[in-house]
Amino acid sequence: MIELTNVSKSYRTDTIETLALQRMNLSVPDGEFLSIMGPSGCGKSTLLNIMGLIDEPSEGSVVLAGQEVTRYNGSKVARFRNEQLGFIFQSFHLINDLSVVDNVELPLLYRRTSGKERRRLALAALERVGLSNRATHFPNQLSGGQKQRVAIARAIVGRPNIILADEPTGNLDSHMGDEIMDILTRLNTDLSTTIVMVTHDERMARKTHRLVRLSDGERVS
Amino acid sequence: MIKNYLTLALKVLRRRPFYTFVSLFGISFTLMILMLITSMGDALFGANKPMTEVDRMVFLPQLQRYTEFFDTTYTVDTIVMDDGATRFDSTQRVEPNGNMNNSNGPMSYSFLDKNMRDFTDVDDYTFLSNNGFIDAYLDGRKVTLATYYVDANYWNVFDFNFLYGLPFGTDDVAGANKVVVLTERAATNYFGEVSAGVIGREMDLGDQKYRVVGIVQRPLKDDDNIAGDVFLPLTTIDPRQYGNQELQGPFQAVFLASSPGKRESVKKQLEFFATNFVMPPGSDFEHIRLYSGTAMDAFAARTMQTNDTGKAKLMVFIPLLTLLALFLALPLINLINLNVSRVFERKSEIAVRKAFGADSSDILSQFLFENLVLTIIGGVIGFVLAVLVIRYVNANDLIGTVRLAFSLKVLLYFIIVVLLFGMLSGILPAYRMSRTNIGTALR
Repeated sequence: MIELTNVSKSYRTDTIETLALQRMNLSVPDGEFLSIMGPSGCGKSTLLNIMGLIDEPSEGSVVLAGQEVTRYNGSKVARFRNEQLGFIFQSFHLINDLSVVDNVELPLLYRRTSGKERRRLALAALERVGLSNRATHFPNQLSGGQKQRVAIARAIVGRPNIILADEPTGNLDSHMGDEIMDILTRLNTDLSTTIVMVTHDERMARKTHRLVRLSDGERVS
Repeated sequence: MIKNYLTLALKVLRRRPFYTFVSLFGISFTLMILMLITSMGDALFGANKPMTEVDRMVFLPQLQRYTEFFDTTYTVDTIVMDDGATRFDSTQRVEPNGNMNNSNGPMSYSFLDKNMRDFTDVDDYTFLSNNGFIDAYLDGRKVTLATYYVDANYWNVFDFNFLYGLPFGTDDVAGANKVVVLTERAATNYFGEVSAGVIGREMDLGDQKYRVVGIVQRPLKDDDNIAGDVFLPLTTIDPRQYGNQELQGPFQAVFLASSPGKRESVKKQLEFFATNFVMPPGSDFEHIRLYSGTAMDAFAARTMQTNDTGKAKLMVFIPLLTLLALFLALPLINLINLNVSRVFERKSEIAVRKAFGADSSDILSQFLFENLVLTIIGGVIGFVLAVLVIRYVNANDLIGTVRLAFSLKVLLYFIIVVLLFGMLSGILPAYRMSRTNIGTALR
């Protein structure tokens, strides 16, 4: 369950104050696959960052998985992200110096899971995205679609309740994009993981349960 | 976790060979120099054989005989008395006029023998003479050897490492036996070998034959008190010098205080003795002064050519330490700079790690660890270089009076320096990395 109440976010420079989000109210029930659309600069990423505890709201409250997390900071926020959240980025952000399986293990590393257990869980996650035969490859030996599948495996390896995806298909052609959407949909149904996805692609958005449109930092639908 | 960090650290180093090369070059070279300095410092000031007890030693290398000259100033007052007559009254003041006659030098055996045996807080003491060189002959070859005439206590005060044989004892000294202890280098030069077989063989020293009783390891430095090639009983020195009844002669003394703190007491007693010393009749001078000091005092005084040891120590060690600090600081700053520039390159990696649950301390420790790996690799290279340089320097006596020590102690210092260097050069960049903002880094 994600519960945003009256969330506003403004960025202040010396001279001007930019309002990125205005009194946003949004509730995402457990197991929902929600997509967020809107033109560039409408506050989609800000919204996602606030849900991911990457950014703090200027006003309002954020409740994630039953916890009021608005003012979490330091190692508390790190711990919460580690256990409850999984991230998928438009440009994958895999660590090129680490093998595929090491990349997938990353969240478990900060959970102090034993090496053996990490390996087992990472391979299982790779299996789920259909890449177990690429475990020892390195990111730059993979195609874009494969990289995003590794990123998904990394996002789900720690069994988070919520996955936040920032334009996961944005850098992929439509065929690969469809593949990624299929995987996300399966995760949503099989593991009933809550997924919030920012996208520019109407077609992808239609595959989700619900679509929220933003414009100028406000919900328009 | 460690394995993961290590793999990554090595990968990163391999990915940027030039950066790695520059960093490693700087680190290993700096660490090599530091190790050489440490090693030299240890050789000079460390408690190494034969001066393990250097912290308790008080050296008395010289005596000064002096006469001060005084001027007498008369002051005459005139007073007009009640009866109108004028009277005179004079006072006189005697002050040193700054002129002095003096004579400095080591002491005679008789002076030391008579006066320097009964101090308190002294565990042991030795009289010795590093009286020049002697020519030794073998098969028509001439070898010039630095000669020390010493008493039996010498071997207690200075704990030479005996490779073969034993020191000579009180009986040998009392009987003026013609026995000799020589260094391994002297043994190599004269006999062509350092072995048990050399013990008992005879050496032609000057016009005398001496029997070898011991071979000692050559000390790390040519300190005035230990830098002999051959050590002979002091009773075998030229009888004119041994029997000399003047104050000055070729001998000096070394006292072993009962504890490092008691060195001051020994110095005070020597000073007291000198102040109250009554000159023998017919002497050219009126007073004596004894120049005693610790090893540090002696080093500083020798370097600065002064007898004011306090000032000399400041003048020697402050510049030395400043120089050392600068020498450490420059590569350190350079390395910090290189590391900071790496922050930007790995921003997204750090942001990803944080997004998936790393907190600042995880990031901090990861980058400190990576930096330590780099420093340790540099340390190993620096270490190998240093060992090669030390060998080369020692084999060829390249820095004059000092040979470079290599001991576990030096290795320990070195490891501390390496870790310190790694921490210092890594902490700032790692701290900056740990504060990366995820949102901006992943945009």
